[in-house]
Formats: sequence, structure tokens, C-alpha cells
Amino acid sequence: MRRLLATLVLVAALAAGQVATLWWAAGARQDLPLPEDHSYVLPGPLLRVVAGEFRGLAADFCFLQGLTAYGKLLESAGPSQARDSDWQRVYRLLDAATDLDPYFFDPYYFGNAVLSRNPEMIPRINQLLEKGLEWRDWDWLLPFYLGFNHFYYLQDSGRASEYLMLGAQRPDAMPLLATLAARLAYQENRTENAIVFLRGILSRTEDERTRELYQVRLEALEKIHYLEQAVLVYRQHYGEMPGTLNVLQERGVISAIPEDPYGGTFYLDADGSVKSTSELTYAKGGTSNEIPAN
Amino acid sequence: MRPLWPLAVITFKEGIRNRALYGIFLLALLLFVANFLICGMIMQEVGKVAVDVALSAVSFSGLLLVLFVGINLLAKDLDRRTIYMVLARPISRRHYIWGKFLGMAMLIVTATAMLGGCALLSIGSVRWAFPSYFPRFAWSPVLLALMLITLMLVLLAGMSFLFASFATSSFVTLILTVVSYLIGHGVAAIKALVESPAAVGIEVSATTVRVVKAAYYLFPNLSLFDIKVQAAHNLPVSWTYLAGTVAYGLFYTALSVTLAGLVFSRREFP
Repeated sequence: MRRLLATLVLVAALAAGQVATLWWAAGARQDLPLPEDHSYVLPGPLLRVVAGEFRGLAADFCFLQGLTAYGKLLESAGPSQARDSDWQRVYRLLDAATDLDPYFFDPYYFGNAVLSRNPEMIPRINQLLEKGLEWRDWDWLLPFYLGFNHFYYLQDSGRASEYLMLGAQRPDAMPLLATLAARLAYQENRTENAIVFLRGILSRTEDERTRELYQVRLEALEKIHYLEQAVLVYRQHYGEMPGTLNVLQERGVISAIPEDPYGGTFYLDADGSVKSTSELTYAKGGTSNEIPAN
Repeated sequence: MRPLWPLAVITFKEGIRNRALYGIFLLALLLFVANFLICGMIMQEVGKVAVDVALSAVSFSGLLLVLFVGINLLAKDLDRRTIYMVLARPISRRHYIWGKFLGMAMLIVTATAMLGGCALLSIGSVRWAFPSYFPRFAWSPVLLALMLITLMLVLLAGMSFLFASFATSSFVTLILTVVSYLIGHGVAAIKALVESPAAVGIEVSATTVRVVKAAYYLFPNLSLFDIKVQAAHNLPVSWTYLAGTVAYGLFYTALSVTLAGLVFSRREFP
């Protein structure tokens, strides 16, 4: 009996020691220096060789690593202060996942939703989506995303219209696509078109956290649209531009200037359009409502 | 066929009784449960990931079965010298090899049928939990993928018999089989890589290209048997492709086992 008790005490002590040393070693590991550019991911063709028959599984793993890398980016610095290499790492992991399995939808979907928080990543996102466009030739969502990115970020309505036309021809495409493509061909009603676009994306997005990302953007655009309409009313009434947005409030055209959900301040640009100091990303404004994507 | 059957049945029973089998099934079971956890982290194409994980678990468990149970079935007779007792019977060495191989093939078919059943159950339960995230799912490609995995494992077992016919210990057979598996799955991708090295910015000498091409025809092209990605996305797989791959698998397996019989019949035992 005494022997059994001694063994149990020993087992308990060893188990406690195991947990304590794990905590110690794992903590020390966090302080290990990382290489300056830790964004390197093996090129797709090599990954295919290494993954062998478990290519699909390796793609899932790369995608989950991409989610983790994005989580770390949010945790360590937030999108406004994150280093370029952190963004590149997320992109490269998603790119590797789609090199391993180019039919896998999630990396395109996730990449489009979160990498766009850094406007410099737009060309990369479009590269990623172009890859998916070729392989997922039944999917209308990828040309839809590409259309939005070209229209909204790159301000290239012509290309946007082409992508939407392509998407409209694919099976089960949202009927709105053809209408949008036609409207974009006129290169007018920029904000209004963007709102229609985002409502379309939202109607097809089920993941709650991704929806929040799009909803914030939609809210900002709706406020800009409201202000643009007010500027139009002012011009029609007074025959001149208001100068600043405060004039609209002073003359009673609007009751108050709405708040930018990205934390910036709306202003009237020299060309007469309504803009925000946040540029509708978290890059310059505050980051009060960071939304982890998963 | 008559002298082969009793030997095949004995080999099959010996394999079923192997304790390592329980470990392999336990591992597969854990992977099928893990399927739920992994799928919970996926945003859209849960069906694709569920199929990926389930089929990979079957393939990996089957590989362990061939490497750690299958190789022992033949090598144990050689290592423990029980081969003398068998050879003293009125049975030729070629029949001995074919009988053992048939038993091994039966074991692989039975095991993958059981593992496959668990895999289908695992996919079915993930589908039940997340029904709207299986946009392009169908059962038939998954069943076809399971069939080709089984054939790939039988081929690999045939290769292991060839190696066991001349290797001096089971460890050498194990190493050679693992190497063949790795080359077999990588050789097509490596061939594509060395034929267009600019894709990854590497330089390849003419000798390397020749060596890779030689390996391509010498080693079995196991990547032909891998249609997991197609099964996961329900992409079309032509009947021509399936027929060609099945025929290739049968030819290569028959070649390996026949060669194994030939080498084994000329082998001298100490």
C-alpha cells in the first residue's frame, strides 16, 4: 500500500514537472530569434513533390497556416502597423495552398476578404483570384470579386465590367451581375455601384466574421453616398460647391456629418467627391473594431 | 490455383491476427474523429476538406499496413527460418510467393474496405453536421478513389515481395519499399519539374533529366492512383483513365510478383 502511494506521488510529481517544463520551454521558444524575412514559403511545384499523394491535405494545412499567420498579424501589430513581410506571409501561404489544390475555394475567399485591408496587397489578391478563375471555371464568385477589386480599388471600370460579364456567363450567377457590368461600362455612379456590389457580396457571404468586414465597408460607402447626395442638393440649390462638409450642416442640408466606421473623418475633396481621412481602411484611422477573420 | 489457396488463407489469417493492425485502426479512427475538428475551422468548402482528410487517413493507414504488417508476413518466414518448413512441402517457390501475395492482397482489400467504411461514415457525419457546406459533393468519386488507393497498396505490396525475394533482412525490404513509395509518388511531379525547370528557377543538367526519365519508367507511377483531389471537388474522371490506371496497376503488380517468384526460386538459403 505504501509502495503504491509512493508511486502515485512520484507520478503526480513527474506530471506536474512535465507541465511546468512544457510551459518553461514553450515560453523560451517564443523568444527565439526569427529570420528577418520569415515569409518564405516553398514554391508550389516543389511543394507538390514534397506533399506526394497528400497534396489535398497539404493544401488544407497551408490554408490553416494562412489563417494562423493572419491571426498573428492581428495579434502582434494590427493591420495598421503590420510589416509588409507579415502580409506577404499570409499571401504566400494562401498562394501555396492554391498551388497544391487550385480548386480549393477557401484560400481565394479568405484572401479576398482579409488581404484587402492592406491596399498594397490588391495586385497580389488579383493574381490569386486570376489563378482560381482559370481552374474553377464553373464559379461566378471569383470573377465577381475580381470585378469589385478592379472597380473599387484600381478604379478600372472597363476591366471590372469585363470580369462581371465573364461571371454573368457562368452557371447560377447572380442575375445582378449583367446589370452591374452594363452600368460600369458607363463609368458613372461610382459609390452607388460599389454599394450594389457590396450588397451582392453580402447576400452570398455566410461566415459571420467575414460579413462584418464587408458590412463595415458597406456602412462607410452608404454614408459617403448620403453626403454625395447632400452635396448634389446643395449645388442644385445654391449653384456652387459647398467648400467643406460643415457648410452642408450649417445650411441645414444635413443634420450632422456621419462618423466614418473606419475611424477617419469625411471631407470634401478638391474634385468635389466625398472622401475620408481613413481611405476606408484601418491604415490611417483608429482600429477600434478589429475583426479577426477566423 | 489449388496449391495457392490454403497458403493465401493462412497468410490472410496471420495478417488479421497481427496486433499492429489494431494500432493502425486506432490511428485511422483518431484521424476520422480529427476530421470533425479540422472541418470546424474551414469557412466554405468543408466537404472538400472532409473528403481530403478521410481519404488521406485511409491511404496513410493502408501504407502503414503494407509497411509494417505486409512486409513481416513474408520476411518473418525468412528471418525466423520457418521458410525451410514450408519449402519441405510439395509446393514450388513460385507458388509460395504467389500464395503469400494473394493472402496479402486479401488482407489489404479487407482492411481498406473496413477503413473505407469508416471514412465514408466520417464524411457522412461531417456532412450531417454542416449540410450546406458540401456544394459539389458526390459519393461515387470517393468510392472510385478508395478503389484506386486499394490497388496502389496492392501494387506496393507486390513491390515489397520483389524486394523481399532478394533482400537479406526485413529492414532492407522496408527501406526499399519506402523509397519506392516516395519515388513512385514524386516521380511524375519531379519529371514535370526537370522538364520545365524555369517554373521554380532552377538549373537541371542533362544527366539529371535522363536519370529522372529512367526512374519514371522503372519505378511505379503511384500518382496515377491518386484521384483524391478529383474526389474532393467532384471533378470528372474519365473511364478511359480509370481503365488505363487499373490495367497499369495489374500489369505492374503481376510483373513485380512474377519477378519476385523468379528471383526467389533461384535464391540459395544458408
